[in-house]
Amino acid sequence: MIRIFPSLRLTSLLSAAKPLCSSSPAKKPPQYTSLTESKSSRPTKSLSITPKTPLYLRTPSHATSLSEVWKWHDWAKDLASSVEESSKNSEDTLDSVILHRELKWLIEDSIVDDPLVILHRSEIADNGEKNVKLRASLEELYDLWRQRIEKRRPFQYVVGCEHWRDLVLCVEEGVLIPRPETELIVDMVEELVTRDEWFKKDIWADLGTGSGAIAIGIAKVLGSRGRVIATDLSPVAIAVAGHNVQRYSLEGMIEVREGSWFEPLKDLEGKLVGLVSNPPYIPSDDIPGLQAEVGRHEPKLALDGGIDGTDSLFHLCHGASRMLQPGGFFVFETNGEKQSKMIVDYMMTSDLKDCFSDLKIVSDFAGINRFVTGFRL
Amino acid sequence: MLSLIIRRSRSRFIIHGIKISCNSLSAVDSSSSVLVSRRTFSSTPALSYFGFNYGKISNLNQRFGNYAYSGSSFASSTRSLSSEAVAVAATCDGLTVERIIANQWPILDENEGDWKSHAAAIAQSIQVIKRRLQWKKLLVRLKVLSAELNKSDLWDDPTHAGKISREHGSLTGKMKGVMTFERELLEHIDMLKLAKEENDSELESETLKALIDMRRVSKEKELEALLSADNDPCSCYIEVQAGAGGTESNDWAAMVMEMYKTWAQRRKFSVTVVDEAPGEIAGIKRATIKVNGEYAYGYAKAEVGVHRLVRISPFDSGKRRHTSFAAVAVIPILGDGSTRVEINDSDLRIERFRSGGAGGQHANTTDSAVRIVHIPTGITATCQNERSQHSNKASAMAVLQSRLDQLEMARQTAMNAQHTQSLTEISWGNQIRTYVLHPYRMVKDLRTNYEVSDPDSVLEGDLDGFILSFLSSSLDKDDPEH
Ligand SMILES: C[S@@+](CC[C@H](N)C(=O)[O-])C[C@H]1O[C@@H](n2cnc3c(N)ncnc32)[C@H](O)[C@@H]1O
Repeated sequence: MIRIFPSLRLTSLLSAAKPLCSSSPAKKPPQYTSLTESKSSRPTKSLSITPKTPLYLRTPSHATSLSEVWKWHDWAKDLASSVEESSKNSEDTLDSVILHRELKWLIEDSIVDDPLVILHRSEIADNGEKNVKLRASLEELYDLWRQRIEKRRPFQYVVGCEHWRDLVLCVEEGVLIPRPETELIVDMVEELVTRDEWFKKDIWADLGTGSGAIAIGIAKVLGSRGRVIATDLSPVAIAVAGHNVQRYSLEGMIEVREGSWFEPLKDLEGKLVGLVSNPPYIPSDDIPGLQAEVGRHEPKLALDGGIDGTDSLFHLCHGASRMLQPGGFFVFETNGEKQSKMIVDYMMTSDLKDCFSDLKIVSDFAGINRFVTGFRL
Repeated sequence: MLSLIIRRSRSRFIIHGIKISCNSLSAVDSSSSVLVSRRTFSSTPALSYFGFNYGKISNLNQRFGNYAYSGSSFASSTRSLSSEAVAVAATCDGLTVERIIANQWPILDENEGDWKSHAAAIAQSIQVIKRRLQWKKLLVRLKVLSAELNKSDLWDDPTHAGKISREHGSLTGKMKGVMTFERELLEHIDMLKLAKEENDSELESETLKALIDMRRVSKEKELEALLSADNDPCSCYIEVQAGAGGTESNDWAAMVMEMYKTWAQRRKFSVTVVDEAPGEIAGIKRATIKVNGEYAYGYAKAEVGVHRLVRISPFDSGKRRHTSFAAVAVIPILGDGSTRVEINDSDLRIERFRSGGAGGQHANTTDSAVRIVHIPTGITATCQNERSQHSNKASAMAVLQSRLDQLEMARQTAMNAQHTQSLTEISWGNQIRTYVLHPYRMVKDLRTNYEVSDPDSVLEGDLDGFILSFLSSSLDKDDPEH
């Protein structure tokens, strides 16, 4: 088993990868170990990590008078409006329109009553004496909003969840907040499996699953017979992904395994019908200049893709040739134009050149060449 | 003649008391009449009264059915209501619905008004309902149908005969419904006068209460008559676009949007903001809200056009008077039953809205707005207020679908009715209403001349007066008799 670390150079990757392609056992009939069995036999460090409860699921144990909440809301609005002046000359700024929307969502997540009692105060006959039930104390709400604006803590960490596709996923520090672009991976899989039922029959894998977003999205489009293995190296990610899988009652379909890339999938060589991944792909040199929410708060392990950002991607290409059964599909997310082209060129010219067909670059809604897709020959 | 007051408990009638009253309660015929206390029929099943079925516009149908029951089963059973001779209902002293309207009794608030005010309100509703039914035409048609039915060779062609008798049945039902309602009104008036004469205060207050109930029911029925077009029951999108003039107009557009939001909330419709382009300094350049609820489109379509504001600008340090414009469009959200335009995926271009930078792992944002362009028509839709890109896309898709449906509707009917106009088609010359905050205070609808002297209440969503007067005036337009 070859393990590639993000720091490993491209050249070593190339030479190390050669035997992998030819060694893929293609003709074995699909035969997999029971998902639950392998799960129980694999003790993980992450068991001890308890994921945080997102704000909107907490018990509403804080009765607070409306007038106090209004006061907080006024303060929060003012703070949101003031950001643009205070950060005019820097490039990485907050946008007050977006902040106002986030504030509305923060209220929706924290209040049991209709959020309109706060947002449309003018229509409330009440003079503010009425109590409302909150899921966080007012003190905490002050603190959370300050963290959002002053510490640039991502909104999704503030409320402990991210709305992604039709899912609400728990997220917390240590786990990457799934990006809107990545939703398209599930769209592509959905399109594929609706066109060809064959892809519903065998196991899919989502490598570097983070919050479990892609794995859960795929399990849902696969339907009741679907099976997905989700892996990650980060114990926090494993715990959070497991928790999200549980929240959507998909334990029977998704198995979360801890370990580096293909290492936890040794039992599945040549058996996967689909392989997806959004691996870390940001070039190391870009990490210090990242947007504050990302650079200061999200895990480096989820972002840093080595010198030109492609360390994990190249590793995944080789793994794909080894793990996929003939006809199997893969999609990887990349940093854009340059990386996607590098990956496709590599797959067409290197020792992998006879491994894949229909290699394609697919762009995201911003028009950036975001994904590379293809099929195992 | 005997008039019995009957009280009903569960399914049994108990004779409660006997009263002697005048011999000829009604001028329609001389047969005896049974008066039924209103509240006694609270458990009767609802009947469709006027024969037009508008779906469930309100919970008042149940109450209305009570009238139908008391009317048709008691009062009308004793009368000849053939379509040949349509007698005009009148009170003992010859008061008819038409006379009530001609009297022009002032219509006061429900709890301030005397019986005349209630009667006038009910009569007015009856008139709207008749207009909606195209009353005179309906009577002529009934005559024709009755003549056909009397032909001896009618059943030689059973399909034709079936059609004729069905239509006859349905029109008769509608006619009877209105007439029974009219008679009910007049009987209440008779009873009220009688109660006054005899100083029977219990009977008087009971009858007055029945009249008020009837007034509420007739108002609802009137509304149903006004909202009977194909798509009226649909939910809808309301779109507001600021006219030229920057901040001034943007602020006005935001006020107009606020007016609709509160109006919709008061009507218990749910409101969601789908798309909003804020102005640079204040207000909005454009916004779309989704208004969910029965008959949202039927009401809101009355608002399509340009709204004009005259005021001293809060943004002008010179305190000068400014005129601003905002255009309003309303799009019905067709139900699953209706045929909708089929959209080819390949005709769509989906774009991230307000994107920039490297995206992907580089960016953390809660902004996942998308814009969908329908390439063949150039129609676009944007949604930015959902929490995931997937949901923004779905919402934008729904807006796009409704826009394309509306375009198709306008094309098919070829009549380019004003309320099917999209924002881009509405000409800035097409002003429908003026709001003046200075030098005097007034809101006036230029289509109906309906006028209110308190702009604040209107801007706070009190729009129903404008909407209803417009709807009933458009009823006249459709009816050649007017
Ligand atoms: C960009 S994040 C993607 C997370 C998630 N799939 C998503 O799209 O939101 C990359 C993920 O890869 C994981 N990762 C990094 N190195 C890894 C390795 N050697 N083996 C497995 N997972 C790894 C990180 O912990 C992180 O969760």
